[in-house]
Amino acid sequence: MKNAKMHLSTETMNLGFVKKVEALSGSSVRRCFQCGKCSAGCPMRSFMEHPPNRIVRLLQLGQWERVLAGRSIWYCASCETCSTRCPNKVDLAAIMDALRKLSWDAAGPSKESYVQLANRLFMENIRTYGRQYEMRLAAVFNMKSGQFLKDLMLGPKLITKGKLKMFHAKNQNVGEIERIFSRIEEMRKKGEAP
Amino acid sequence: MSPNRKFALSYSYYPGCSLHASAKEYDVSTKGVFNALRIGLKEVPDWFCCGATPAHNVDELLSLALCAKNLSLAGKVEGDLAVACAACFSRLKTTQHRLKENDIKRKQVETAIDGPVPLGKKVKHLLEILAKDFGLDKLEGAVQKPLTGLKIACYYGCLLTRPPEVPELDDCEAPTIMENVIKAVGGEPVAWSHRLECCGANFTLSRPGVILKLSNEILASAKDAGADCIMVACPLCHGNLDIRQEEIEQATGRRYGMPVFYITQLVGLACGVSPLRLGLESMIVSPAALLREKNLL
Repeated sequence: MKNAKMHLSTETMNLGFVKKVEALSGSSVRRCFQCGKCSAGCPMRSFMEHPPNRIVRLLQLGQWERVLAGRSIWYCASCETCSTRCPNKVDLAAIMDALRKLSWDAAGPSKESYVQLANRLFMENIRTYGRQYEMRLAAVFNMKSGQFLKDLMLGPKLITKGKLKMFHAKNQNVGEIERIFSRIEEMRKKGEAP
Repeated sequence: MSPNRKFALSYSYYPGCSLHASAKEYDVSTKGVFNALRIGLKEVPDWFCCGATPAHNVDELLSLALCAKNLSLAGKVEGDLAVACAACFSRLKTTQHRLKENDIKRKQVETAIDGPVPLGKKVKHLLEILAKDFGLDKLEGAVQKPLTGLKIACYYGCLLTRPPEVPELDDCEAPTIMENVIKAVGGEPVAWSHRLECCGANFTLSRPGVILKLSNEILASAKDAGADCIMVACPLCHGNLDIRQEEIEQATGRRYGMPVFYITQLVGLACGVSPLRLGLESMIVSPAALLREKNLL
């Protein structure tokens, strides 16, 4: 491998994927010149196998499969520090959203299942109840992730403080949320929305 | 006649999901302070979840549509939209910002919610209402019990200031709005390093290990700067710093004992709102000893 050369061409760069990310995120991927400022300020850097600037570099080099298969995109906290500080106006937080959507839609391989499970349950809650019921969210997450004892000590503490409620003020118009979800699904079927 | 006509200032109000459960003291104290300052507040009926971080993480269109629906519901209630949660505030304003700039997305969202999106409805965080609309001078005038000697670490977190073109609240790297409010009610803001760092946000559900690291750094920085307490304006930051504080102490072996207040609790205390209407008893790290020591209880 010592003499292996990396060939760069428009084919290996897979511009098609880059353009898809750019269209979804509304941000340029190609404009990044690798100053590394995003990674320097990223609070989640130590949890990622690829720091944010390397993710952009991998995309530029057509290595998107490595990005989608890894856990880094799921460990982005959406704190917006990178997008705020980028000297070249690359909206990395939006690029992360686009990458997660592409990975999510493809149900592709990823090393990070807990974050995806939490996201899925969060969205199901919205669709069913119109609002987030934290107690239900946490209980179902523990069950489905097989961590039955997670945060066990927090439960009683929160209940005595009245912070976890068994019953909530209900949204009286919850059918409207289902219509929003189905209209979006409909648009996607017709190819009218990403 | 509008029910809010007796007030010079009045707002429509979007509490968000947390304020009806784990952050109920933020809801209670917001109503307490607004009532004391004679600011009208009328909750938007049948509001929905804004989608928070998970929605935009995997489905931008859905996230924009959920916020657009809420803006449309809020459009039926008089007054600018007052938002307490920093995440809801950020999502609602992001939606207006993106849809103003992008006609294709706006049309998709209008189809999704089957109606127009009120892009002109002003969305304001409580901080902005207290500091700018009501005004620091009037706030100073409303103080009955100044927070003298209370050293407060004002914690902004991420979404109140970033990215700057969305919240349009204050400077994104060196904001002062929280400190100004605290000075107006007689408190002492401390200078510290972690006011704009991320607390770990919604990883509290999926990967609590993240919170133990990031929120610990925030608590340590506030403690090292000599703060008696931390002040926040976001229910997620509060949950991570207050509810998980004991766990952080056990993991790191460092004792903080640092009460974490919502901005409305501290302003309310200074403006003479009864502690019973500020939800102080709901805080996991009790502020009772600290407040008694400073003669504030």
